Amino acid sequence: MKPILLQGHERSITQIKYNREGDLLFSVAKDTVTNVWYSVNGERLGTYNGHTGAVWCVDCDWDTKNVLTGSADNSCRLWDCQTGKQLALFNTNSAVRTCGFDFSGNIIMFSTDKQMGYQCFLNFFDLRDPQQIEDNQPYQTIPCTDHKITSAVWGPLGEFVNAGHENGEINQFSAKSGEILNKAKEHTKHINDMQTSVDLTMFVTASKDNTAKLFDSTSLNHIKTFKTERPVNSAAISPIMDHVVMGGGQEAMEVTTTSTRIGKFEARFFHAAYEEEFGRVKGHFGPINCVAFHPDGKSYSSGGEDGYVRIHHFDPHYFDFELEA
Amino acid sequence: MPSMEYDDSKPSWADQVEEEGDEGTLPAAKETIKGNIKTITDYKIDEDDGKKYKIVRTFKIETRKASKAVARRKNWKKFGNSEFDAPGPNVATTTVSDDVFMTFISSKEDLNAQDQDEDPMNKLKGQKIVSCRICKGDHWTTRCPYKDTLGPMQKELAEQLGLSTADKDKPAGSAEPEPAQPAQSKTGKYVPPSLRDGGTRRGESMQPNRRGESDDNATIRVTNLSEDTRETDLQELFRPFGSISRIYLAKDKNTGQSKGFAFISFHRREDAARAIAGVSGFGYDHLILNVEWAKPSNN
Repeated sequence: MKPILLQGHERSITQIKYNREGDLLFSVAKDTVTNVWYSVNGERLGTYNGHTGAVWCVDCDWDTKNVLTGSADNSCRLWDCQTGKQLALFNTNSAVRTCGFDFSGNIIMFSTDKQMGYQCFLNFFDLRDPQQIEDNQPYQTIPCTDHKITSAVWGPLGEFVNAGHENGEINQFSAKSGEILNKAKEHTKHINDMQTSVDLTMFVTASKDNTAKLFDSTSLNHIKTFKTERPVNSAAISPIMDHVVMGGGQEAMEVTTTSTRIGKFEARFFHAAYEEEFGRVKGHFGPINCVAFHPDGKSYSSGGEDGYVRIHHFDPHYFDFELEA
Repeated sequence: MPSMEYDDSKPSWADQVEEEGDEGTLPAAKETIKGNIKTITDYKIDEDDGKKYKIVRTFKIETRKASKAVARRKNWKKFGNSEFDAPGPNVATTTVSDDVFMTFISSKEDLNAQDQDEDPMNKLKGQKIVSCRICKGDHWTTRCPYKDTLGPMQKELAEQLGLSTADKDKPAGSAEPEPAQPAQSKTGKYVPPSLRDGGTRRGESMQPNRRGESDDNATIRVTNLSEDTRETDLQELFRPFGSISRIYLAKDKNTGQSKGFAFISFHRREDAARAIAGVSGFGYDHLILNVEWAKPSNN
């Protein structure tokens, strides 16, 4: 396969996300712009300019009307997807780490970092109520006193949010009442990334403890574990195959002290059921910070510490390959 | 006038030369679409060497079926930093990278084994890089957990040892006035060269004639050798007289041919003497060999 290289960022990529149909790919990085690309040919559709700090997270709603970004400039912004205009600005006290639309596209959640004397909050806004945006007053705020949220995804039907914490814990917060519905502690370290399956029934976590784990979204039952020998920065579930792709590598600060040969910057493919690795794809010069599957499962993208996003369209080989059980 | 018409249809060669000589102008980019293949021809002057380059890029145009929403989005106007980009991918932001392949892993063991070979640090794992002076453990001496307990004890022990060996040596009054210091040299402390093992012995000379007197005395010089002579020939010729320690055949540096003389060192002087007696005046390769004692070389 010939990857398409997207050079829209000057610093390391923090998150990439496809929209529901997969024709657009959003990428955010530690620089201030948010890029949107046509995933089919890598053409850049535009940029959302306005943030003044590193952008940590991006999300797009189901009908690709609005885009939500959260940044270290203590703000979360809502954009018009088509024109790149800023629709709303949510100011916070600390950096916004994760953000997301629920499935209806009406309710957004975002979490803030524990920093500068402020603790970590998980905020919920209803976009149908302009008063909430105007007053910057979320209808629901959940404080997390102990360990900050490092990654979060919506569960099915927009009823709750599954949040991964920096100590490896996963909590399920109700979007209505704000109470904790479920808990799981399977990871021992920082959860870097969480991504759901297409039907939102499962999600995969990527943790600094060198593993990625598959969970049931509602019960938080631990289903599978994928082990590697390096921190996992991101993991994604294939929508059509029983595959999980993982990106990682040693920590960015250690990259210069080890050779690229042992850096292990490949994207690694695991069989979701057998928990066994079956393939690797090289390409990045640094650790992979985020991976995402195209919703049709025929291509995937990865964004790295090297600042590039690479779109890979799978060779026919990939679809024929079967793991010997 | 006919000449005017001619000028109109074709520019004069002088104009053409002028155009070519002007570095600032480049032929305009061309774009041709033939079937589903689009070819873009660009011209550019390289900044480093000032040469003109012609860049031809070929694209395949694909028509894909997509849902209405996706098709509508494909026609959206570009915005933000891409506002002024032409339709189609912009080379500044989008490039096609080199081919990569997914490497499929059939058995996990193979891959891990290969990985370990690739990792140079793994080779070092078996070896001790650091060795503690106190407990011989795999850490720096300053980090030794027994630093406070073992350290002083060892020092005492070493002192006692040093004293006892010195005591033993002195009354023995050995012929060599060499102060033995085994305790110190083994603990890895710095010992000045004057106190080291053999420090009081006279230094060895670099002079070759001092090195092995017997060797030089059992060396013979063979002259009047033919140019085709090899070391193996000499070995064959002189082996019957006794064991040979060294054969030196003088050769031309460039051609590698023999210069016509050689030195043969025997282990024993008697063998050398017999060789002189036996081979001197011997006809070898149409030449009469001349064999005599080699003179001691002056450096």
